[in-house]
Amino acid sequence: MTASKPDETSLEARLKRLDEILAQMESDDVGLEQALKLFEEGVAHVREAEKVLSAAELRVEELLASGETRPLETDEG
Amino acid sequence: MADDLSLDLFGEEPEEPEEPPQQPAPAGPKVWSVSQVNRAVRGLLEDSVEPLWVGGEVGGWTRSRAGHRYFTLKDDRAQLRCVMFAREAERLPTDPDEGTEVRALGELTLYEARGDYQLVVRQLEAEGAEGLWRIAFEKLRTKLEAEGLLDPARKRPLPAYPACVGVVTSLEGAALRDIVSVLARRAPWTRVIVRGTRVQGEGAALEIARAVDAMTRSGLADVVIVGRGGGSVEDLWAFNEEPVARAIVASPVPVVSAVGHEVDVTISDLVADLRAPTPSAAAEGVVPDRDAIVHRLGRVPVQLARALRGSAERRRGAVVGRMSRLARTMERRFAPRRQALDRALARLERDARVALDGRRRRLGTLAARLEALSPLATLQRGYSVARSSDGQVLRALDDLPAGTTFELRVTDGRVAAESLGPVPDPES
Repeated sequence: MTASKPDETSLEARLKRLDEILAQMESDDVGLEQALKLFEEGVAHVREAEKVLSAAELRVEELLASGETRPLETDEG
Repeated sequence: MADDLSLDLFGEEPEEPEEPPQQPAPAGPKVWSVSQVNRAVRGLLEDSVEPLWVGGEVGGWTRSRAGHRYFTLKDDRAQLRCVMFAREAERLPTDPDEGTEVRALGELTLYEARGDYQLVVRQLEAEGAEGLWRIAFEKLRTKLEAEGLLDPARKRPLPAYPACVGVVTSLEGAALRDIVSVLARRAPWTRVIVRGTRVQGEGAALEIARAVDAMTRSGLADVVIVGRGGGSVEDLWAFNEEPVARAIVASPVPVVSAVGHEVDVTISDLVADLRAPTPSAAAEGVVPDRDAIVHRLGRVPVQLARALRGSAERRRGAVVGRMSRLARTMERRFAPRRQALDRALARLERDARVALDGRRRRLGTLAARLEALSPLATLQRGYSVARSSDGQVLRALDDLPAGTTFELRVTDGRVAAESLGPVPDPES
């Protein structure tokens, strides 16, 4: 069992995809048509990732014995 | 020590050792029962000797089923029986090996059932205050090392951008506050899941181990921080115990150990995928800094555009390259043929000229022959041609009724003429 969910909308997935896109575009064997598509996809990921980054509040939850979670009050400064 | 006790009962001969106390013999000396004696001596020992530290070498260490430890303290000339009851013995980081130099704090007493006097040990230390801890630490470290669990190759890289961070620590501790505040500052998009546990005291190690298990196996966290704030060696001890180490080793996701302040390395530090000197440092280690990502993301569009331009230029370069290569190929391929063509053309031209010359000569002879057949030549021979004003050649009598004006073509010009009508044929 691994904890990493195959969530393509996560920040990690987007940043990873961006790395892939850049590497692919910088390689020789990508057609112009394909390069354009990659470019557009890349720009979309940047926009979405920036949205994620602008999230303001840290969510803190407590893991219960049942395996469920509930919000946890913390007195963080 | 017994010499200090001013008790003269040893000078008397006991007669009935197994008799109940307070049964004086009818005559003769007072006889004590053994129980009486032992109780009396025990009282003397316990009342007259303050708790004391005794130093010596450990020997004959045994552990009863109930968890009590029995051993002797020795120097080169004497030995002293000792007992450490389960309650205190439980707090020992490890049982000392045979021959370990220790010091024991305890009270002298007498075990009445056997008549043995002994030291009831409350606290046992080796080589200074942390000796036994050190020994226990080394024992476990050696064991885990033998299993290959400290191998640096076992350490997994942490996820670069965890969506969810698990934390195993005390819900009341400063460690949790520190971790949460660092995560809130650096990566507020992160989900944080905490599993509270006691981190010190009786049974803390097992509790921590279970919490680590629950967290790492929940499938929620991409990375787990386990730890607590600073404290004494004893406070931090749970993180040097085997159950915690095993729970960390068994984790399916990377674990960061963050125990206390920088100086103390614990067993959990050694088996974790990353050791952080403090809980705050652990939090900084598991998430990227927002500013760093923002900066990086800011550069991406530029990189994308550059890559796109590069891609287009490579295409264009490829086309131009191919065109010129094609041109060169064509030239190379057609060069021999062009020479052949040139030669053919030249030959054709020559042939044509030759043919032309021949024709021309032939034309000359033909012209000469034509000349001979020409009407002009006939005219020269004395014939003339009669033609009407509209150019019709007049050949027969019908063409020339009387009064018809016509032209006569003669060898050097034309003359106007008029028909006077047919001439009777002398032969008709």
